Amino acid sequence: MRRANVISGVILVLFGLLMLAVVIPAQIEPGPDGMMSPRLVPGMMMGVVVALSLLLVVNNIRAKGREPAEDATPPISGAELLALAKIGVIFAAAILLYLLVSPLAAGAVIVVGGLLALGERRPLVLIAMPAALLTAIWFLFYKVLGTGIV
Amino acid sequence: MQGFTKRGLLKLAAGALLGAVGLGHAALAADYPAGPITMLVGYGAGGQTDLVARAAAKVMSEQLGVPINVVNKPGAGGAVAARDLKQAAPDGYTILFHSNSVVNSAPFIIEKVDFTPEDFDYAGMITAYQVGMATQKDKPFNTIAEYVAWAKQNPGSSYGALSPEARLYINEIAKKNGLDVNIVPLKSGSEMINALLGNQVVMAFSGGIHYRYPDELKTVSALTTFRHSSAPEVPTIEEEGYPLGMDSRTTLFLPKGTPRPILDRLAGALQAAETDADFAKVTSAANIPIKYLGVDQSYAEMRDTYAKNKGIMQQAGLISN
Amino acid sequence: MSALLIGFQDVLNPATLFWVAVGVTLGYVLGALPGLGKATGVAVCIPLTFYLGPVAALGMLIGIAKGSAAGSAVSAILLNTPGEPSSAPTALDGYPLARQGKAQKALKMGLYASVIGDFVSTLILIGLAAPLARYALLIGPVEICTILLFSLTFIGALSGKSMIKGLIAGALGVFFATVGLEAETFVSRMTFGLLELEDGIALVPMAIGMLAVAEMAVQAGNVRKLDSEGARITDGATRADRVVLAAEWRRCLPVIARGTLIGSVVGILPGLGASVGSFLSYGATRKASKTPEKYGTGMIEGVAAAESADNAVVPSSLIPLFALGIPGSVIAAILIAAFILHGLTPGPLMFQQQPRLVADVYAAMLCASVILLIVGYTGQRLFAQVIKAPLRLIIPGVLLLCTVGAYMETSSVFSIYVMLFFTVIGFFARKLDFSFVTFLIGFVIGPNLELSFRQTLQLLDHKAMNLTNHPIAVVFILLTVAVVWWIGRGKKPAAPEDQAAHYLGQSKPKGRI
Repeated sequence: MRRANVISGVILVLFGLLMLAVVIPAQIEPGPDGMMSPRLVPGMMMGVVVALSLLLVVNNIRAKGREPAEDATPPISGAELLALAKIGVIFAAAILLYLLVSPLAAGAVIVVGGLLALGERRPLVLIAMPAALLTAIWFLFYKVLGTGIV
Repeated sequence: MQGFTKRGLLKLAAGALLGAVGLGHAALAADYPAGPITMLVGYGAGGQTDLVARAAAKVMSEQLGVPINVVNKPGAGGAVAARDLKQAAPDGYTILFHSNSVVNSAPFIIEKVDFTPEDFDYAGMITAYQVGMATQKDKPFNTIAEYVAWAKQNPGSSYGALSPEARLYINEIAKKNGLDVNIVPLKSGSEMINALLGNQVVMAFSGGIHYRYPDELKTVSALTTFRHSSAPEVPTIEEEGYPLGMDSRTTLFLPKGTPRPILDRLAGALQAAETDADFAKVTSAANIPIKYLGVDQSYAEMRDTYAKNKGIMQQAGLISN
Repeated sequence: MSALLIGFQDVLNPATLFWVAVGVTLGYVLGALPGLGKATGVAVCIPLTFYLGPVAALGMLIGIAKGSAAGSAVSAILLNTPGEPSSAPTALDGYPLARQGKAQKALKMGLYASVIGDFVSTLILIGLAAPLARYALLIGPVEICTILLFSLTFIGALSGKSMIKGLIAGALGVFFATVGLEAETFVSRMTFGLLELEDGIALVPMAIGMLAVAEMAVQAGNVRKLDSEGARITDGATRADRVVLAAEWRRCLPVIARGTLIGSVVGILPGLGASVGSFLSYGATRKASKTPEKYGTGMIEGVAAAESADNAVVPSSLIPLFALGIPGSVIAAILIAAFILHGLTPGPLMFQQQPRLVADVYAAMLCASVILLIVGYTGQRLFAQVIKAPLRLIIPGVLLLCTVGAYMETSSVFSIYVMLFFTVIGFFARKLDFSFVTFLIGFVIGPNLELSFRQTLQLLDHKAMNLTNHPIAVVFILLTVAVVWWIGRGKKPAAPEDQAAHYLGQSKPKGRI
């Protein structure tokens, strides 16, 4: 975790500096006189983030030497990152289908994609589950509640 | 035989086709609506506009014989919903029920919004917003003139504003009379009521909901071009010498290019709300005056108010595009 | 009192009770399903209530709100995905309890705490609506600003093991909340030209992404391990794991009392919301505990604290609505529409003009609390069975629900983008041990604090001396200073951050008992 702390600390410092130097001035106009500047609070927060992240980095670098050799496993496992990536892909496909085809297709892709990504291979489940869930949702929203998912 | 030349046949075919399309067009309009209609509302559920929209949807649904699904698409004061409406098909199955301020004043205030009255078609207006300046009942002023006198005696008083228009009014009044007023920002109508009832601010800009508290609050000025039916003794801001009256009404917006028969059909259904008992119950409970305007009147109202508001905003230096 | 008895007479008939029960059940289910929330549920049900009489309609809608505040504990405990942001603290201790085989115990305590909090808060509403509401009016922006400042001190208690990371997360939360149109200057902040961001980042899609979808991603990456533990979760080894023991009741009752009080107060104050209530309650209970470091590993008091407050907020947020017609929360704002549509104008006149209807609604609300207990009990058994299914079936279902829930908020795909963005952030926050709880607090409290501070500046005419006109505010400032000083005095040097295994938000506690 030490190494992860240092890395995340550094990333946060960079993020904070980027916000302070580039994004905030570019995206927020100075406000009219007589009122607190709209840049104040975002700027303050990024200042806090930069300061505390530096502290985090320093603390963790210093402590590194003092600690006994520890569990070297990184906090994020490869499987978890893969899962995150898979979810990204599934949603990308779903959004595409939503924009090009229909919400129904998007919903189906989320369920089927999720099942496939997690290793489900039984065709019965792959067809029955999305069908059941989507029918239930359709029923709930269109029939019972009378609204539309536009 | 004479008549059957190739050309003639083509002409016949073209004529038949055109006729079919025309008939089809008319037929489309004739059996409109053939299915459910989606009514977008540009504010979140529960607000004044949403209330009127749902009540109107109920009436229109009965008139048209098809369900009307109300879908809230809040964002940027209605600009997000209006932008989505622009992209919908002009077949009358997607409509927007919202305050016309999204077209006749929002473009002058929010930079990214640049609608003009020509961007949409209109199928009638039904209620007006009783926009006014509200204050507590025990304050010693009942008109803007009296407020100005009071404010001069009490510099540093506070005024609640929940939009740039709200600030526009107080800035103009303060400028003209050299007043020292602190403008307190408010995020919503409820916050405004809270601030007034809790005596936090001396006066506030209200979209009409202050009329729900006749025992605690009173109106100091009607910021519309007409006197409020809920407070007929209160002069309008124009009567007091400031040419700043801006009207807003709930309007049925449709995508540009919707056939006129469909607009008429919708306007007719909307008009039924004028005399509907349930609709009246809702609007009177919320102190919302019903003022129906037909299709042509709606177009005129949009164009006139757009031009007028532009002038006001330019004068006040608010125009950003 | 007699009016209330008449109210009960009116309400205790099968038809009305049926609809109230429908509302509570629907709310409970919506709350338990991650992704779908009570705001969506209530808004969407309003048209359905056109066909019902006013008492049944209002009873049903309020029932939805109550049910979902309790139901949200279920998915928090069983899946570590809170059904609503306000149940996020419940997951902190509820999920570890579930992993230890004590799921049923946690669920039961969550339900009892919810029902008690809800019932007592309803009684407060009935008894004290009018006078309390008047007092609540004394709380203006100046007082709110100081109260929020005071609430921030609780962040310390909610940061978990690392105060630094907790504060960073909190600051990031505030930062993200500044996206959008600033209310005083009307300057757009960091919207990158997108109209959809003018109103800021919506809480619901963000919370769904950060709390639910991120958790699903983490669990998806650990499917095998979690599945093998799965069967143990719901059944528990011994009876002691399935019920709430007397000793635990004794420990939890004061916690529940405190949570109910905090939730009720938070509910009355405008603009704070249920999330703030449950966070504060959890934080307060942890601070008051003799073993604060054990929180996050499965302290049942944590579940009781969060759930009692989260449910207590619902009826008390109706106090300003009933008494003054001012909605103090999103639910109350939606309910105004329902009230007016059914002929009740919320506000002071309501009590004079329609006393019988008001009594009926009160009675319906009390009945709803009781029904909640029944629904919750049966519901838990059902949900517990659902959880026995292998994760690879649950996760896609949850993903779908989250997508629908996020989309329903604004009927636009943009919310999905927001959800996905915060899924990534939530994922890394969990794995790198940055408390998403403090992020949420920053996100929710931040903008309120900034706006009320701006309002304060204007109201005080930019002169600090005018603060003396606001004694309540001064009290809270002193309280804040006192707490900060107390924390500073009692602080030990920061313990090594990664030795203990129980981080907030992590789904696989290592080396637990």
